[in-house]
Amino acid sequence: MTQVMKGIRVLEVAQFTFVPSAGAVLADWGADVIKIEHPVRGDTQRGFVNIGGIKCNPNRSPFIEHPNRGKRSVGVDISTPEGMEVIYELAKTADVFLTNYLPAQRQRMKFDVEHIRAANPNIIYARGSAYGDKGEERESGGFDGTAFWNRSGIAHSMTPPEMPGPLAQGIPAFGDSIGGMNIAGGISAALFHRERTGEATEVDVSLLSTAWWAAGTSIDMGIDYGEMSRNRMPTSGGNPGNPLMGNYWTSDKGTINMCTLTPGPHIRNFFMHLGKPELADDERFSTAEVLMQNWEAASDIIRGAFAEKSFDYWREHLKTYSGQWAPVQTLMDIANDTQALANDMLFEVEAADGGDPIKLVRGPVQFDHAAVKTTRAPLASEHTEIVLMEAGIEWDRIEKLKEQGAIA
Amino acid sequence: MKAGSKLESTACDTQVMVIRNTQEEAVIECGGAAMVAAPAPGDKVEPTAEYASGTLMGKRYVDEDGTIELLCIKAGKGSLALNGVALGIKDAKPLPSSD
Repeated sequence: MTQVMKGIRVLEVAQFTFVPSAGAVLADWGADVIKIEHPVRGDTQRGFVNIGGIKCNPNRSPFIEHPNRGKRSVGVDISTPEGMEVIYELAKTADVFLTNYLPAQRQRMKFDVEHIRAANPNIIYARGSAYGDKGEERESGGFDGTAFWNRSGIAHSMTPPEMPGPLAQGIPAFGDSIGGMNIAGGISAALFHRERTGEATEVDVSLLSTAWWAAGTSIDMGIDYGEMSRNRMPTSGGNPGNPLMGNYWTSDKGTINMCTLTPGPHIRNFFMHLGKPELADDERFSTAEVLMQNWEAASDIIRGAFAEKSFDYWREHLKTYSGQWAPVQTLMDIANDTQALANDMLFEVEAADGGDPIKLVRGPVQFDHAAVKTTRAPLASEHTEIVLMEAGIEWDRIEKLKEQGAIA
Repeated sequence: MKAGSKLESTACDTQVMVIRNTQEEAVIECGGAAMVAAPAPGDKVEPTAEYASGTLMGKRYVDEDGTIELLCIKAGKGSLALNGVALGIKDAKPLPSSD
């Protein structure tokens, strides 16, 4: 992929997925991202033994590869003054400082914006937080499960009212990964602004702001109209008012999602694909107006038709349908999805355990139609000596810092 | 071998950076043969069966007493030893977590 961030250096003092995934996106785009990790424990996420109840191999951990590919890892104990001196020296060589540490920790260990700017006045200072860097909750930490999914109201909207309680997020680091992309976008704009004006800005993205932005249409509607839509219980049939919208179940428990918002131009083509071309001339269904009025009758017929044939049949057969629809796939289907492959959605990195290469999902942005080429996530502290020597720190001092426990 | 110096295997492609070495007289081996700063073409040997489990790029190799630490900067088929005793991998010691 075109290295649009080539020559940009990011100093990342962050853990988990949300903020590190911003560094990963920038690394995919060509930035030199230096990840600071605890010299003994590494990123807390290296200790994840389970992901969604599934046992995790630390040498092939999605919790490390997804948010950290393409980076170099330097082990620094930021709680020591000697370690923090190293951070300041690296900050002098960086364009962006990226962190998710809480305000009290940034103050106590002295790497808040004023401390980093004392070392490098032109550095862009980017913070990822749970609830925002202003207000009384700025001191509170959180994960996407708390701030993004539950606190925001997303869990409430996603859950049909008939269910006994709210649905869980279901996908690990779902809100984190969306939020990390938001941070990467903010940093890109800040770099552009600095290039044009010479002015370095601060950048803030929270998991809560990420969720509220993603849910903006519902929120804006709810605030203005006093009511908003929520998820309905899963069923086979059309949405109220439009039978060409909604999920239809196939004979083998598959689901086809019909999503033809403007049904009028597609009525004849749809009923032809359904195997009931005569319905296009039925006076109940022949125009958008009557179809929407008689949506329940149409929905009953469509439901019956879908239930007669298999998921694979409909999936193949609807390929020539003129309106919008989708098969309900699983996330793992990406591996064989021709559209995913055509758009380079997966790329490979070597595995740290010497085993088969690991396939990773690329970020959502592509430059010049080119695939991502990058390296695996670093091992904890893998590049400590190399990066410090590059920064002009001589070996004698590296040895002394090691003796002090300030670096790995 | 001084810390900070680079060593190459004569038995495979492995290259390491010496990160820590408290034993001046230590013999650092890969594939059963002593590693050298710059191998000559005639130095090449096959790894012995006992030391052929391979090295992994980016891994750090240490002895039990912590007298030596080698950072693998190029992987190879041989495996590392100090004075005839196999080295182990130094890994991060993260706190167990689960989502």
